Amino acid sequence: MFSPASSMITDILQLHLAIPETSIERFWQQQPSPFSANGICWMASLNQICLDALLPWIQEVHASKARVWKNPASLSSIWEVVNGSAIDFDHQRLVIIPTAAADFEELRVPQEWADLPSWAGDYYVSVYVNPDDQEIRVLGYVTHHMLKQQGQYDAYDRTYSLEADCLIGDFNVLWTARRLCADEVRRDAIASLPALSLEQADSLIHRLGDASILAPRLAVPFQQWGALLEHNGWRQRLYQRRLGLPEAWSVQQWLQTGISDLAQQFGWGTMDLQPNLARGANGAARVLVRQLTIAGKLYEFCVFQQSEEVWRFELQSASIGGLIPGGFKLRLLTEDLMPFENNEDIATTAIEQLYLEVCLSPGDALTWEIEPLPDSYDREILRF
Amino acid sequence: MRPRRSILELFSTFLQFENDAARDWLSDARLRRSMQANLDGSASFQGNQSEQIEPTETFWALYWHKLWQSKEHPLASGHLAAYLQEVCYWSAQKLTLNLSTRSSLADFFQIAIAKLDRVLAGFNPQHSSGLRSYASLAFSNVIKDTLRLRQEVDICTDWALLHKLSCKRFVESLQNFGFNATTIASYRLIWECFKLIHAPTDGKIRKLGKPDAATFEAIAQQYNRDRISTLDPLSPPTTPVLVEQWLISCGRAARSLLYPMLVSADASKSGQESGELLDDIEFTFQESSLMKVIAQEEEKSRDDQRSQLNAILLRSLVKLDLPSQRLLQLYYGQGLTQQDIAKQLDMKQYTVSRRLTSLRQGLLDTLGKWSQTTLHKSLDSNVVQTMSTILEDWLKVHYAHPDLPS
Repeated sequence: MFSPASSMITDILQLHLAIPETSIERFWQQQPSPFSANGICWMASLNQICLDALLPWIQEVHASKARVWKNPASLSSIWEVVNGSAIDFDHQRLVIIPTAAADFEELRVPQEWADLPSWAGDYYVSVYVNPDDQEIRVLGYVTHHMLKQQGQYDAYDRTYSLEADCLIGDFNVLWTARRLCADEVRRDAIASLPALSLEQADSLIHRLGDASILAPRLAVPFQQWGALLEHNGWRQRLYQRRLGLPEAWSVQQWLQTGISDLAQQFGWGTMDLQPNLARGANGAARVLVRQLTIAGKLYEFCVFQQSEEVWRFELQSASIGGLIPGGFKLRLLTEDLMPFENNEDIATTAIEQLYLEVCLSPGDALTWEIEPLPDSYDREILRF
Repeated sequence: MRPRRSILELFSTFLQFENDAARDWLSDARLRRSMQANLDGSASFQGNQSEQIEPTETFWALYWHKLWQSKEHPLASGHLAAYLQEVCYWSAQKLTLNLSTRSSLADFFQIAIAKLDRVLAGFNPQHSSGLRSYASLAFSNVIKDTLRLRQEVDICTDWALLHKLSCKRFVESLQNFGFNATTIASYRLIWECFKLIHAPTDGKIRKLGKPDAATFEAIAQQYNRDRISTLDPLSPPTTPVLVEQWLISCGRAARSLLYPMLVSADASKSGQESGELLDDIEFTFQESSLMKVIAQEEEKSRDDQRSQLNAILLRSLVKLDLPSQRLLQLYYGQGLTQQDIAKQLDMKQYTVSRRLTSLRQGLLDTLGKWSQTTLHKSLDSNVVQTMSTILEDWLKVHYAHPDLPS
């Protein structure tokens, strides 16, 4: 009975939202610029504006728990190499593709947002950003399924594009459909990419870390690029190299000269202990602590040197007398995500602490993960 | 402008403009013959039926729309273009009066009728109040949108304009300007390099200035580096001077796409040479009976569903508070823009937009639930999207004629 009809032409009633007054100013105050070229910085500003304008509206009107996908501190490492942002709510993801194009003729989605399993969204929305008039306009959206089925893949810039007439122009449809069409297939299946070895990743980061390559995403085959990008730690390394930033994840440096700004933004801090409370055999007086929120509760992830070679990793509740619920897992992996012997501690019942002890030599690198996933979790590579 | 009298005229004549005013109706010979043949065919078909109903104007509109959709009749688009002349004219005239612009009525008419295919594609015969009312809304949206874009482009520098184009429009404007594929490929690459290197550094874009010499140099270098992998490896390198010339050409092409030369609004689009006329008529006789049955059936089922739809939406509207009703009245009834409403009610435009969005969200939810429970439909995004279009159409008709049943 109902057949799809093009909507753009009838739906001049687009959602307009004001750009919060401080949004543009705050972004452009960052010194030095956190991006390697003016055009990249400009597109990043459009992304930041979209998040600043759209997130509060979504939270207020539709999903109070909506939040930006990724820790705010890692957004620059995404925007340095690809356009787009995402907002998560109720196990669904809205991918935002900002554009300055005033003609509203198409939605152009970089392949990363459609074909990387950990990046892909349920919905893709085209947002026109007009900073001169301090407003954004929601132009229309599609589901992942529609994007993959109807989108034109352009190998030139590795994008899927859809003409405006093929978009659902009325943003209201998304929210009504969410309520009433729970079983709709929104996502197509996405194949995982082959894993990169550490050597491959190192060589890619070395090569693409050259900031004179303005579009690193197009410089190597998509499978390699995608695998590099999905690994937050590697993407972070790539970003630091392109911007010529000093190593931000050296645990030794953190202990000696203080936590790097970037790591602080991710939530790392130090805690100095009284000599009589010092932990470990050699009495480590300084402990690295990262605050985490898991399933609505606060926890502390601590790292300290127990002896010359042994480092200890602990997870415990941030509240006095609090316990770790059964089912929680603390796991360490090599930089290229390989497990090793005794790399995991599991809480079979509620316990006080999860911990792991690992022998490490200077220069070794590890990444950590916890199940269930902490809020705004991003993989970090800690270098010892 | 005198009203057209017969169905034959309605589907075969075009407005003739003189000094920006519609003067008279011009008949298109091919369309006239084709329409006459269809009318005759229909009469003889009716003759075989026990019950005789004269097909209405609405019937013929649906009939041609159906043929247009199936892409099988070369003159369908011409007949519909003729049919929608007044609608297009009134949409254009209303906007010429309401908006302060230097564009003329004929210009507006031209902008709108040029997008006829998009309007026809958007029309959903099963759930609309009719092609004319749908087209009236669609035409005025087409005009408003073109004006919005022109205004934006007019206040942008050439360099800002290059940032304000979608890739699709960028390529289209070059094609439209007559550049060949090789040149377009080069221009696209230089455009991508330009956008990455020369961009605003203060958050605003409209006044973006001309790149300095060093920037042109950087763009040229980037181009020369990328051209090996992106373009034909034998394509010649560029220089900073060429970069500037190329980018200026791109900007010029983009502007000219927005201000196309006026072509007269006659039947030039309506089909092929008249030599194919006989084939057309033959086609018409073979297909017509079947098509007509379908069209008439659809007209009937549409009426049933429309009255249900009416009831459910009217009930929801009555429940709204007065400020909400007033907002809908201003937007749909008086056809004010969100900006105008904001001025009139002394609010921010975003507030108007948010309220209208939220009101429509409520109505769309109602419509969705009704369809789910009453019609036992399983919904998906496409169906909800169609409902959104129906809702928009319904609101427009309802508020435009508050005394009549929509």
